[in-house]
Amino acid sequence: MKKMVISVLGCDRPGIIAAVSKTLFENQCNIEDVSQTTLQTEFVGIFIATKPDPLSDEDLLSRLNEKLAPMGLSVLVKPLQESGEWQAPVSEPFVITTLGPDRLGLVAGITEVLAQFGINITNLRAVFRGGNDPRRNVMIYEVDIPAAIDPHAFRTALYRRAEDLGLDISLQHRDIFETIHRV
Amino acid sequence: MLTDREILSTLEMLKNEHLDVRTVTLGISLFDCADQDYKRFMLRIREKIRRMADNLVKVCDEVGIKYGIPVVNKRIAVSPIAVVACAFPAPRMVAIAKTLDEAARATGVDFIGGFGALVEKGLTGGDRALIEAIPEALAETERVCSSVNVASTNAGINMDAVYLMGKTIKRAAELTAGADGIACTKLCVFANIPPDIPFMAGAYLGVGEPDAVINVGVSGPGVVKKAIDRARAANPNADLGQLSEIIKRTAFRVTRVGELIGRQVAERIGVPFGVVDLSLAPTPNVGDSVGEIFQSLGLKAIGVPGSTAVLALLNDAVKKGGIFASSYVGGLSGAFIPVSEDLNIGEAACKGYLSLEKLEALTCVCSVGLDMVALPGDTSAETLAAIIADEMAIGMINGKATAARLIPVPGKKAGDKAFFGGLLGEATIIPVSTHGGADTFIRLGGRIPAPVQSFGN
Repeated sequence: MKKMVISVLGCDRPGIIAAVSKTLFENQCNIEDVSQTTLQTEFVGIFIATKPDPLSDEDLLSRLNEKLAPMGLSVLVKPLQESGEWQAPVSEPFVITTLGPDRLGLVAGITEVLAQFGINITNLRAVFRGGNDPRRNVMIYEVDIPAAIDPHAFRTALYRRAEDLGLDISLQHRDIFETIHRV
Repeated sequence: MLTDREILSTLEMLKNEHLDVRTVTLGISLFDCADQDYKRFMLRIREKIRRMADNLVKVCDEVGIKYGIPVVNKRIAVSPIAVVACAFPAPRMVAIAKTLDEAARATGVDFIGGFGALVEKGLTGGDRALIEAIPEALAETERVCSSVNVASTNAGINMDAVYLMGKTIKRAAELTAGADGIACTKLCVFANIPPDIPFMAGAYLGVGEPDAVINVGVSGPGVVKKAIDRARAANPNADLGQLSEIIKRTAFRVTRVGELIGRQVAERIGVPFGVVDLSLAPTPNVGDSVGEIFQSLGLKAIGVPGSTAVLALLNDAVKKGGIFASSYVGGLSGAFIPVSEDLNIGEAACKGYLSLEKLEALTCVCSVGLDMVALPGDTSAETLAAIIADEMAIGMINGKATAARLIPVPGKKAGDKAFFGGLLGEATIIPVSTHGGADTFIRLGGRIPAPVQSFGN
């Protein structure tokens, strides 16, 4: 048994998950994790499944393609790397939120600072609808900030970058959101 | 994973609705500083306050930045000085107030409370000395606050102390005549004073409290107002039951913020966490007003008919939400209606919607009492005492904390404005009826007996 990652990308419509999972079932693959997201019209699903040894990686890909290509879906299949090359350091969870008018390079600008400080993004939602209404142009990063970095230096760098990009930015410990909204 | 709505609504509360922690107050017991030797006593209180509070401001700022919630005020409350320093005469009490002021300045806090006495049943020598020292102490210090408890549901009202406080307020105003009687803004007369108030000017550390403790006062009138506005915009037919539910949920959120920040600060400075005071505390800023909530519920201004009912609903809903949010609730816990500190309430007084009598009625259903009420400078000590006695009676009978923070503004009359600055704001002086025989009544003195606590009609 070998763990595989299968990702499926294409225009959203009913029946995508059904088609993928049926093909996996017919090929004796056991699904361990599934997640999907949709951006505008585009669907992406990522599956982690165990595959029986007699079935090759290439065979699995071709059987998925047989079913999904006619639906206009692209498929990627690869073995799961069980232990990642990157080991998460001791960190605290924070949320970075930006509001501000759309322009080129906003995500690149903010994530460059995060990468410089070794900060891992655990979840990101960004919406840019153009115009000057800041509420229509929002980025929300959930990040893990390593305990070892200088928090003051990071905050200063992040806020300076946001100012350069014309963004109103907040960096807050995640607990405040859970505290306010969840019982 | 957090939802976008959770994150964006929190930001909205912070950026546009003045969500903050109004005060983190470090209570410090000074009982172990007591000493017959005056110099040693002063040295000990100075040393203890510095030792306990040295990091308070820094830690509050760090925690505020970490969570993105500003801690607006950092304060200290100490044991009642009339008890700790009961051996000393009035001039020494003034010197102690100055030492407290210096210690507060050195630690960077904006106020230090506890220059007070508990005299509901009678006065000790220390109590008399402290009360005698209050006018000079408050006039000659910047950050010292004083509270004197003159009544309780169990003891009744000490009318001799009430009269003494009328004279004390009058004298404090005279000593700061050039600043509109600002010393009186730092002096509260209480009934049923709680031992763990984080808010000034009433804060002190009660005798049953630990050696040091963090108590937190939350804010949030702007958040409550916006929540009501949104609910009414979404559903114009929302009734008062539904709006009460909205206030309750909002109070829950505000209280949770206070408790999180308070516990973090307490942990970092190594003292226990005490209570969250569930008060809706306004500031003299647009959008941070308790008075505006009355308008969101349809009234033209606080003070018009319907106001007492609105305040009762508001106060109760805040308590219900807050008590669910925190198991450790204390202090004053209710909506504040400080006339000068709330822009909208100040305007209502200025335009004549809010009279002293209506304010008094409002204090029957909320904390904390006649708060930051500017009165004509020629109001006599006896009339001040009579107003205080009325307010104490409300507290005594209803088993609740009430207080009077009255400012007879020297040289000014009803309709004039008094300016105190900063968080203390400004106030239009409201008229007082002076033809009522208060002089005779107040001079009767004695103690109004404690009320019966059954037959609650």
